[in-house]
Amino acid sequence: MTQPARPAEGAPGLLSSAGRVFDLSLGQMLWSRRSVFLGVLLGGPVLLASALRIAATLYASGLKINGVQAGGSAIFGMMIWLLYLRFIVPVLGVFYGTSLIADEVDDKTITYLFTRPIPRSAVLLGKYFAYLVCTVLLVLPSVMLVFFLVVPTGQGAIAGAFPSLVADLGMLAIGLAAYGAVFALVGTTLRRPLVLGLVFAFGWEPAVLLFPGYLKRLTVAYYLQALVRHEMPQDSAVSMLMQVFREVPTVSTSLLCLAVIVGLTLWLAGRAVEEREYVLEQ
Amino acid sequence: MTAGDLVTAEHLSKWYGQVIGLNDVSVTVPAGITGLLGPNGAGKSTLMKLVTGQLKPSKGSLTVLGEPIWRNPALYRRIGFCPEQDAFYDRMTGLEWVTALVRLNGATDALAGAMAGRALEMVELTDAAHKKIGAYSKGMRQRVKMAQALAHDPDLLILDEPLAGMDPIARRKTIRMIKDWGRAGKGVIVSSHILHEIESMTANILLINQGRILAEGNVHQIRDLIDEHPHTVHVRADQTRALAREFLGHDDVLSLKFEEGAVVVQTGRPDAFYTRLTDLAASGEHGAIHEVTSPDDNLQAVFQYLVKS
Repeated sequence: MTQPARPAEGAPGLLSSAGRVFDLSLGQMLWSRRSVFLGVLLGGPVLLASALRIAATLYASGLKINGVQAGGSAIFGMMIWLLYLRFIVPVLGVFYGTSLIADEVDDKTITYLFTRPIPRSAVLLGKYFAYLVCTVLLVLPSVMLVFFLVVPTGQGAIAGAFPSLVADLGMLAIGLAAYGAVFALVGTTLRRPLVLGLVFAFGWEPAVLLFPGYLKRLTVAYYLQALVRHEMPQDSAVSMLMQVFREVPTVSTSLLCLAVIVGLTLWLAGRAVEEREYVLEQ
Repeated sequence: MTAGDLVTAEHLSKWYGQVIGLNDVSVTVPAGITGLLGPNGAGKSTLMKLVTGQLKPSKGSLTVLGEPIWRNPALYRRIGFCPEQDAFYDRMTGLEWVTALVRLNGATDALAGAMAGRALEMVELTDAAHKKIGAYSKGMRQRVKMAQALAHDPDLLILDEPLAGMDPIARRKTIRMIKDWGRAGKGVIVSSHILHEIESMTANILLINQGRILAEGNVHQIRDLIDEHPHTVHVRADQTRALAREFLGHDDVLSLKFEEGAVVVQTGRPDAFYTRLTDLAASGEHGAIHEVTSPDDNLQAVFQYLVKS
């Protein structure tokens, strides 16, 4: 019998192991039913942008909000904040983040990963990186299409708005990183993580943001809103809504807090995975 | 415990809430091939999961290859595990999947590919290496699971129901491979609920039921152990009532019952019973004795016997 050679001694480190888990997981994640479903969801803003573009073409006066003409950049900014950052990014975070390990447990493939000479936290980290790349790849085309459809309306200029597009994409990536890490912790520590995640994203966060005080610092959205650079149309319902969020931290404070949130929640999630027993149903 | 022992458990218990999975098990698994036998729900899977570090002991201690296994990932370098569940990344090809898993053992891309290729060759899946696992038959899926377990050349191979779903030819080849692996000085722990499968691989077995080890050691030693317990003999004859009267005249006969054309006897001293029976058959005193069988003549009965006791 021919014996296979044995790999050199010395277990791969945490990041190296995470990279290998990432390689294994990315393809699975990209072509999962979840990605197909959420890809369809990401078509929603594109449809809306298409409708706006058609309306702007048909009605030369452009889109008015409370009688005030809204430029393409402002509408794009609203869509980034209201549709992407406040809805799509948390949805992606909840659905992928809570299932990073749960999917492997449900599919009973976790055994293959947990019986390898790598820390269990590397499995979580690798799958988290795969989630980030996967979701960015899902969001990117949607945002780009919305940008090219919406910005030219209302006398907007693509060239002038392009730098803000890059900033918006960076902001969305940061949002995905933060929500993904928070929901990875929820997924590894709590029962019914999906329900709790949805309650956090669409119950706790919007409610707490409406009230003054310190509670809003226990949200991800509070720090993300400081990164929104778009100017919103004035004297409108949207601008009134935005007034509620006026109390925002500085960009540097937000970035620092978001980095702490990502680091801390991932560390805690990693600890939970290391300690927890996963009993597969027969 | 000796230096070459594969697994040592001392007062090992595992509870799932109120349910006992394994109950105060103390056992040593020696080098070589050991079969773990037990019916579904006996505690085999719990023991396998403890030995592979997927579960943490509730009580007692467990060492694998001389080291505790729980939260000791470095030890997986020396262990290959083929789980029972039929679970895969179905979109990957067999070669991609085994390569990806071997990479987790620290192999470089090139080495991992070569090792995966060799492992697939060992399980005779080279021709299907580039097919998606989702298109594999049940037997092929079992074999690709074996490949991922042995690809990194482990010192200890742990196989949970490895022959399930295999066709007879693949089964025979896999048994031969496992025996070769043992002959090459590797440790193998293989579980099954079918005794003849285990018997074809090894004489060294552990019998487990209801979370306890019922017996351990060589098959022959276990047979001796069985001989201390009531032994059932099925005698098909013309004059079963006359034979029954004859049997009841001896104190080693513990009970008997009639079946169609046969009498089933339970004896405490099988050797003495068989000697008398042979004499009766030779004399023809109570008519012809057509067939004498004992469910204890095969390992399945040995196992069932111990499980019932």
